[in-house]
Amino acid sequence: MTLKSRLFVTTAAVLFATSGVVFADAHATHPVTGEALASDQTFTYRVGDESPSIDPGLVEDVDGAAVVRDLFEGLYNQDAAGNLVPGVALSHEVSDDGLVYTFTLRDNAMWSNGDTVTAGDFVYAWQRAASPALASPYSWYIELMSIENGAAVIAGDMEPSALGVTAIDDTTLEVRLSQPLPYFPQMLTHGTTFPVHQATVEEFGNDWVLPENMVSNGAYVLTEFVPQERLVRERNPMYWDNDNTIIERVVKLVVPDENVALTRYLAGELDLTDVPAGQFPRLSEQYPDQAVSVPMACSYYYMFNLRDGASPEIQDPNVRKALSLAIDRDIIVNNVLAGGQKAAYTFTHWATAGFETPDIPMATMTQAERNAMAVELLTEAGYGSDNPLSIDLVYNTNDSHRSVAIAISQMWKQTLGVDTTLANQEWQTFLEARSNGDFEVARGGWCADYNEASTFLDLMQSESGYNDSKYVNPEVDALLAEAKTSANPQANYDRVEEFIAQDTPIIPIYHYAAVDMFAENLEGWPYENFEQTWYSKDLYKIAE
Amino acid sequence: MLSFVFRRLAVAVPTLLILVVLSFVLMYAAPGGPFNSERPLPPEVLANIEAKYGLDQPFWKQIVNYVVSVVTQFDFGPSFQYKDRSVNDVIAQGFPVTLTYGFWSFVVAVTVGVSLGVAAAIKQNSWVDYFAVGVSIGAQVLPNFVMAPLLLLVFTLWLGWLPGGGWNGGQWQFLIMPVIALSTSYMASIARITRSSMLEVLNTNFIRTARAKGLPMRRVIWKHAMKPTMLPVLSYLGPAFVGMITGSVIIDVFFSTGGIGQFFVNSAFNRDYSVIMGITILVGTLTILFNLLVDILYAWIDPKIRY
Amino acid sequence: MLPNRAAVEGIAENMHLAEVKGRSLWADARTRFLRNRAAVISLIMLCAVAGFALFGGLIAQYKGDFVNFSLIGSNAYLGVPSLETGHYFGTDSNGRDLFARTVQGTGISLMVGVVGALVAVIVGTLYGATAGYYGGRIDGIMMRIVDVLMSIPFMFVLILMLVIFGRSIFMLFLGIGLISWLDMARIARGQTLTIKNKEFVEVAVATGVRPLKIILRHIVPNLLGIVIVYATLLVPNMIIFESFISFLGLGVQEPATSLGALINEGSRTMQFGYYWQIAFPLFFFIVTIFAFFFVGDGLRDALDPKDR
Repeated sequence: MTLKSRLFVTTAAVLFATSGVVFADAHATHPVTGEALASDQTFTYRVGDESPSIDPGLVEDVDGAAVVRDLFEGLYNQDAAGNLVPGVALSHEVSDDGLVYTFTLRDNAMWSNGDTVTAGDFVYAWQRAASPALASPYSWYIELMSIENGAAVIAGDMEPSALGVTAIDDTTLEVRLSQPLPYFPQMLTHGTTFPVHQATVEEFGNDWVLPENMVSNGAYVLTEFVPQERLVRERNPMYWDNDNTIIERVVKLVVPDENVALTRYLAGELDLTDVPAGQFPRLSEQYPDQAVSVPMACSYYYMFNLRDGASPEIQDPNVRKALSLAIDRDIIVNNVLAGGQKAAYTFTHWATAGFETPDIPMATMTQAERNAMAVELLTEAGYGSDNPLSIDLVYNTNDSHRSVAIAISQMWKQTLGVDTTLANQEWQTFLEARSNGDFEVARGGWCADYNEASTFLDLMQSESGYNDSKYVNPEVDALLAEAKTSANPQANYDRVEEFIAQDTPIIPIYHYAAVDMFAENLEGWPYENFEQTWYSKDLYKIAE
Repeated sequence: MLSFVFRRLAVAVPTLLILVVLSFVLMYAAPGGPFNSERPLPPEVLANIEAKYGLDQPFWKQIVNYVVSVVTQFDFGPSFQYKDRSVNDVIAQGFPVTLTYGFWSFVVAVTVGVSLGVAAAIKQNSWVDYFAVGVSIGAQVLPNFVMAPLLLLVFTLWLGWLPGGGWNGGQWQFLIMPVIALSTSYMASIARITRSSMLEVLNTNFIRTARAKGLPMRRVIWKHAMKPTMLPVLSYLGPAFVGMITGSVIIDVFFSTGGIGQFFVNSAFNRDYSVIMGITILVGTLTILFNLLVDILYAWIDPKIRY
Repeated sequence: MLPNRAAVEGIAENMHLAEVKGRSLWADARTRFLRNRAAVISLIMLCAVAGFALFGGLIAQYKGDFVNFSLIGSNAYLGVPSLETGHYFGTDSNGRDLFARTVQGTGISLMVGVVGALVAVIVGTLYGATAGYYGGRIDGIMMRIVDVLMSIPFMFVLILMLVIFGRSIFMLFLGIGLISWLDMARIARGQTLTIKNKEFVEVAVATGVRPLKIILRHIVPNLLGIVIVYATLLVPNMIIFESFISFLGLGVQEPATSLGALINEGSRTMQFGYYWQIAFPLFFFIVTIFAFFFVGDGLRDALDPKDR
């Protein structure tokens, strides 16, 4: 197993690196880089809203997942580049048919109350996450992992104990899959697979996540939790790798307004916050070391409603293509958003692992050529100044979505003479309208579940539950199905992207970037990690 | 008097019931549901969740169950959005926060507002009057979603005197800006009402008589004019109080105080039925109680009113 | 929200006194109003603001929804207010002419205020007059309904209405108006109780005029003074309220805008030094509300000579 050997090497490297500084002052210098460390190792960051849950079994949002990764530790963690490194598991072996994974757990992993973390804790946590009694909105993740009987347990047809996960002994965990899944180990860095302390959960029920009750096994323990205001976690002395933890205290503040958050960041109250849309150029000029933009695994697009009975104008692929051509994406990314986003002519994010962006003719044209072609296509379709096309565009209430919609509606108007009616809807109404097909053109955004092109392109599959356009193309379906088993699916992905450009069921507009302000003395952030999976234990603050 | 209080309380119960049913119906008529998200949940997962929260039962049964558990156990159920918490937890955490800065805003608004109004009325058409009227209208027209970021810029970013938000258990530094932002427009209204009411009272015969008898002005104001002046102010306090509770949305958004305003709006947007219901009932009850209190005070001050 | 209820209540009595004396109340009131300098100046300012909203579009160099793409993202040096570029008030963050948008926003805010107040006043007056006229159990039930509605947090109702029925200017008018009719209903009822015992109403009843006609012909006209004052003081409250709704993101749809929406956008970029984005809309907002308050106060004083 290559993975196993690599994990071993990494562990050895860490051990080697740390052994040299055993006698040094733990907080004076960084054990690996030797940088002088700040005396106050408190990391304070901003989130926009309270997370629905910080229970590993129930966690569903990105911010909640970050909290869970600090408080709990699963079988594997990710390093700064997104590679797997040992967590509670040291290594694993896979059976020849790829269906049985056997994990070897470390024997020095401990809960914050001193109990040992055992394979049984994982079995309990996974059964709990899948059980109808907990009714976790993320229980489908267990099914996605293809664990034996996962679907039946979730549906309530089998007892949770039938789930394909067994503790052979305290340090050996066996997982049986219903089908081979090459990226199964990668899925284990997600919170849903993290262990929970059975005795605590059973004693306190729902209240076990309160700071006074929670027992956790991560690098930090929960010390304060005021929903909609703050969540504080502090170093866990029982954590097996506690000696290498540098940040003492992590504070998550809920600051709903991003401009307020920026004010507070500039006043020195925060170490990390988001940059409001359009403010990146100014901030990066003023604070070149602090404003950072890195690719983020999401694509921004507009979708057309292609259902039967939807408005007839947009069923003409030429009309759709004209609308796509007339959007000057460079203005959107350079002027409207101006945060290092990239103009998109393909649905798949350009930075997706193993994906080569195919040559889409539109991408190499100048905007003037695109506009000329758009006018031509639309005139052919029978629209012009005497018979202007009208379009309804819906987006969910948000400042930057609004700015993009305003710019695009004007591009359509100024280039093509199209009248656009803008409608912003609040989130729940928007979701309902979109999934019921109650729209002409709607805003869409999709973030990668895993770092591979199919996480995007599978949305174009006719039967996909997320295909809100209801784009149906048997050729695309066939290409995607073939890609699943193909050794080199790039050719298939190229073809699918070409279909998207030709049929234009969606208009890719830009590929996201995460645009943040980082305190100057904050180090160790995994900028290269495409999914932005970060751990407070890997961060540190240097002395200024 | 006692029978009046009793009668009003008797009306409060059906009022609350109607409130519950009305908000229940409105909530359910709204598009979307608490468990919709960008990625639709698989049906079996959704079924589990709905069963857990009792949403798979017929509509009337949900209402009945809800009312029964609220009345018998004072249990407002679990929050659909914040899965680690019950509605009681949410309210227990958010309400004291809102109540604290709401109370101080109330105190500030009433004391400053009444003082400004009285001063303006006594010195009618002097610079004191113009100043007071100018300040109060200025304070009323500056929307608090402009005032809040302005305060933040000045006191947090430029001067660095006050923390830019958070609650921290209600330490005074964290209270100042929320109280200023919340109280100003009410302070202004109270000042305007007080001024015109005081002017009216000063023109009445009994005050003229008192002054003609040579009583000193200060004594006339405090002994005789104050009580009748306060009547219209009192009747404004009910709406003002409710406005401060619901207006806390802006405070919570800008100062990250974590009060019920933030929970309230988030829950409406997330269709967190149970939290919405809990907060609505709470605010409705408070409104009823507060209006009752105001009416009693009114009756106590104004001898003309008989119940 | 409605601070002026109590202040308004004294008026109707005085109007009847005036009638008894046989003098033209309205001529009297006009003289008194014109003597009030602040009110007259405010009225002139109001007319100026309304003129700006109606005819400002004629001198705007750009349309309110026209995006100048070269100006997006370069507000700080290109989108500044300037007579040369024709962007008298500069541009907003989306590269649109702020002058044209302020014209439009002022218009919509005025409309929301006036229509909202009208809805409130019409519904409230009719409701209150009906309850007061019939009295007894009908009165009891109708006023209990008002009590119940008053204890519902109004913001919650409006958010729900905008969410359920979709967002439109009409919905906003209706929502804002429907929430604020409650106070008017109470005032109108109180006044009706005193009016309905007057001779002319009793005569009408005796001659068999239908109740609806009595309410519309005899009672409502006698409430007019109070209604006008109340409506004038309600308009600025409506405008303030609309700005709050805009803040929540439930206001008018792009590319239409209101002063509240413009101020809200401006307050976000204030800290970056784009002061004009907040200054101009805020100026018109403040002037409008100031003026309405003073005109309202002037009208009240004019119709209620007790204060003089």
